Amino acid sequence: MSTQEARERLELLQGTLDLLILRTLIFGPQHGQGIARAIHLASEEELLVEHGALYPALQRLEERRWISARWGTSANNRKARFYSLTPAGRKQLVKESTKWRRLTTAIGRILGPEAEES
Amino acid sequence: MFRTRRKPNEFSAEIEAHLQLETERLQEQGLSAEEARAAARRTFGNVMQAEERFYETGRWLWCDHLWQDVRFSLRMLAKSPGFTAVAVLTLALGIGVNTVIFSAVYAVLLKPLPFKDSDRLVFIEKKNPPRGWVRNPISPAEILAWRNESGVFEDMAAFSGSSCVLTGVGEAEEDPCEVASSNLFPLLGVTPFRGRIFSADEDKPEGPRVAILSYGLWQRRFGADDAVIGRAIELNGASYTIVGVMPASFSHLYATPYGTVPEMWVSGIGLSPEDTSNNYFAIGRLKPGISLQQAGTQLNQVSVRIDQVHPDLKGWRAQLMSLRVMLSGDTRSALVVLMGAVIFVLLIACANMANLLLARGAARASEFAVRNALGASQWRIVRQLLTESLVISLAGGVLGVLLASWGCKGLVALAPPFLLNSAPGLGGGTADLRVLAFALITVLATTILSGLAPALQSARPHLTETLKEAGRGSLQGPRSRRFRGALVISEIALAMVLLVGAGLMVRTLTLISRVNLGFTSAHVLTLRVPLSGPRYKEPQASVEFWRRVVASVEALPGVESASVSRGLPIGDWAGQFFTTADQPNPPAGHVPDANYVVAGPDYFRTMQIPLRRGRAFDEHDTASADRVVIVNEQLARMYWPGQDPLRKQLRMGTAASTSPWLSVVGVVGNVLSQGPDYGFHAEVYVPYQQFPWVVSPDDLVVRTASTVGPASITHAVVQEVHRVDKDRPVADIRTMEQVLRELIAQQRMMMALLGAFAGLALVLSALGIYSVLSYTVAQRTREIGVRVALGAQRADVLRLMVGGGVRLAVFGMAVGIAAALALTQLMADLLYGVRATDPVTFGAVTIVLGATSWLACYLPARRAMKVDPIVALRYE
Repeated sequence: MSTQEARERLELLQGTLDLLILRTLIFGPQHGQGIARAIHLASEEELLVEHGALYPALQRLEERRWISARWGTSANNRKARFYSLTPAGRKQLVKESTKWRRLTTAIGRILGPEAEES
Repeated sequence: MFRTRRKPNEFSAEIEAHLQLETERLQEQGLSAEEARAAARRTFGNVMQAEERFYETGRWLWCDHLWQDVRFSLRMLAKSPGFTAVAVLTLALGIGVNTVIFSAVYAVLLKPLPFKDSDRLVFIEKKNPPRGWVRNPISPAEILAWRNESGVFEDMAAFSGSSCVLTGVGEAEEDPCEVASSNLFPLLGVTPFRGRIFSADEDKPEGPRVAILSYGLWQRRFGADDAVIGRAIELNGASYTIVGVMPASFSHLYATPYGTVPEMWVSGIGLSPEDTSNNYFAIGRLKPGISLQQAGTQLNQVSVRIDQVHPDLKGWRAQLMSLRVMLSGDTRSALVVLMGAVIFVLLIACANMANLLLARGAARASEFAVRNALGASQWRIVRQLLTESLVISLAGGVLGVLLASWGCKGLVALAPPFLLNSAPGLGGGTADLRVLAFALITVLATTILSGLAPALQSARPHLTETLKEAGRGSLQGPRSRRFRGALVISEIALAMVLLVGAGLMVRTLTLISRVNLGFTSAHVLTLRVPLSGPRYKEPQASVEFWRRVVASVEALPGVESASVSRGLPIGDWAGQFFTTADQPNPPAGHVPDANYVVAGPDYFRTMQIPLRRGRAFDEHDTASADRVVIVNEQLARMYWPGQDPLRKQLRMGTAASTSPWLSVVGVVGNVLSQGPDYGFHAEVYVPYQQFPWVVSPDDLVVRTASTVGPASITHAVVQEVHRVDKDRPVADIRTMEQVLRELIAQQRMMMALLGAFAGLALVLSALGIYSVLSYTVAQRTREIGVRVALGAQRADVLRLMVGGGVRLAVFGMAVGIAAALALTQLMADLLYGVRATDPVTFGAVTIVLGATSWLACYLPARRAMKVDPIVALRYE
């Protein structure tokens, strides 16, 4: 379903995209392309957000009132739809990141020290 | 859920902005504009898919599809106006007749009665099955014993229908009124609109005489004047004080069973435990949790005790009916039959519709195959087809409800008066929400019944075959053919049942109107002039009144003869005990009884009741002459079998009676005095000039010459009455023919309605066969061409085509006859003189249906016969 890239990239786990979007928006309002870009950069180019999934995700978060959106002008003077975190979204982010940390720690424990890999 | 959604084009704008931003960023990194644009697009992925996905999460998809389907359906239906018109009209008729009959069923059988806890109200009469009495008024002795001793009633109120001549307020007028006990109103849960109800003190016969007015009477005669309370009026010559007015909503339904709609209620019922005269009805309110059956058992135990105290009440038992059952009476079975009939009509309409849809589905097979190939799921196509059915059914429903509002008016016009009395809501038509809800349910049921099977059938993917055979459209598998066959068979079977029902009603009506009633009803006018008040206190005064009225009416041009009576043939019945001199002491419970008629000299000549023996009454049968009586043949046969009835002696009353002995001077023919359903009863006739104090006559009967319509002399007759006494109200002006029409009004209504429904069923099912055969012929044109080319004769082709259809019809008729044999039992009590399995009716109906089916097969088959093999083989 995604455009196949030559380089192998990490697939996003189901449900993590929402969390990443919320996390990204903590720095202030951002448009869709900016969010995708931010996730891409922040993950040290490991994660490439499939844009086909990004917009439905934004739509979903907006419907749950975790983010809000309005049309604005980008840094290079282009009209874009800017998303920002709502108080409910902020709360959701805290909840979700705690959950995620606990999950990854637990999985990490099971997988054992990283050294054994490679 | 109904928040405003983002519009898809706004979403596209957002994506466009995204692509722009990305392109610019890549350009900054040194890519050319074109490369940057391509790379941005590449990283974004499938724009179209993103948009689509956005679109799908963005709304209620099914809602959206539904709207698409509806628009598509409307376009498809508009493209074939012929099909649409036939389909909508068929369903409109089916839904329309269902709505009409349901509105009647609702008004008569389902709508709650306008009384407090009406399901606990019971109507109390009595019966004496061994003597053939089923419903009889009851006596105060029984009312008091049943109320006080049975322990099953919260309360029981008594009333007696009567008529009150109201004088002192404008022109004299006679109104139905009711002597009622003071607890009647609280028992029914109604409070007066003005003033008060009766007090217990006013129940006593010697108590103050007070009256309550109906809202209608208060408006009509008293100008809705509030000062009417406390005003004195004169009823039947006695003075009464008005104490209250009932609200407009107060329903007469509790009193309808015996046929009156009271305009006034008067006090002084005076129930006494010694009184055994059967002049009352009672309404009881059962204690909560007591069933009708339990109550019946309890009352029977009380009756056993009554038997001991009052020998003349021996053998009588309470006859309890819930008020609802009492009100609907015979109409219940009539309505059940009609409801069944219209459901059959609807089923036939649905079968026709299913047939049409199947043919249409086959014709559109390639359309579905293409849609299927383009990715539409089978379910999506089924949904599309069901939506088309729904659109058709809804259109049919709307049109049907419009038709129904006319139909309801027609129904009211057809309905017998007693039905209108017991269901005032009958004329309400379709305006009731529940009736509309019913129509909606019918629409949905119709959609499923007519649309589901064809939709499933059409949507089954035959992808490759259909696309390969594109245009040839010979997609009629054995399965589809069997389904069509089943539809035709059930249509014919349903039509058969309806036709048999209608046929039985036609037979009933013919037989019932051919019955010899014992008198000649044509050219007879009857009217009623009640004589009451101080002016007619002396019996001689009323004799004198009638003598003068009869003499002057007989002198009118066009009048052949006139007479007076109390009691008219058909429905005007007065049971009276009598004893004969041969057996003056009959055992209690076996005292003979007869219909008691007071008659004037020319009564038998006027009614044309044949005189078998002896003489009729004449001017000399006056109070000073010997007391005489005329009996009918039935009485003579029962009590003096094989003997000469002339000069036999009998007297009115039971063994204890002290009334004078009467000598039989004549024997007349039997009259069906209670209508054709009840057979002959013993009857006694006494001359009005000898017995005016027993019951004074009040019916004037006039026979006109055969060239004069009896209704045309009404005005002249009323004028003659008023010439004698201008204060007498004249009521119930009817011709005997009218009386007869009312008597058979229910049968007439049933015949008209069942006839109409059966006609509809016949036409629809004939259309059903016709369309299936036409379709088959069209489908098999090529095959027929081959057959003809190979030497088949026209007759062979005809036989082949007609044969297929006729086989279905014969099978359908066989199923129909079997079903009719079982189902017409339901209408057994609506029939007269004919059994539900009447072979003549079944035979006639089979011929009619068979002939119609054959014609419906023959017409399309003739087209097959004319097939030109050259054309047919080229036909592709």
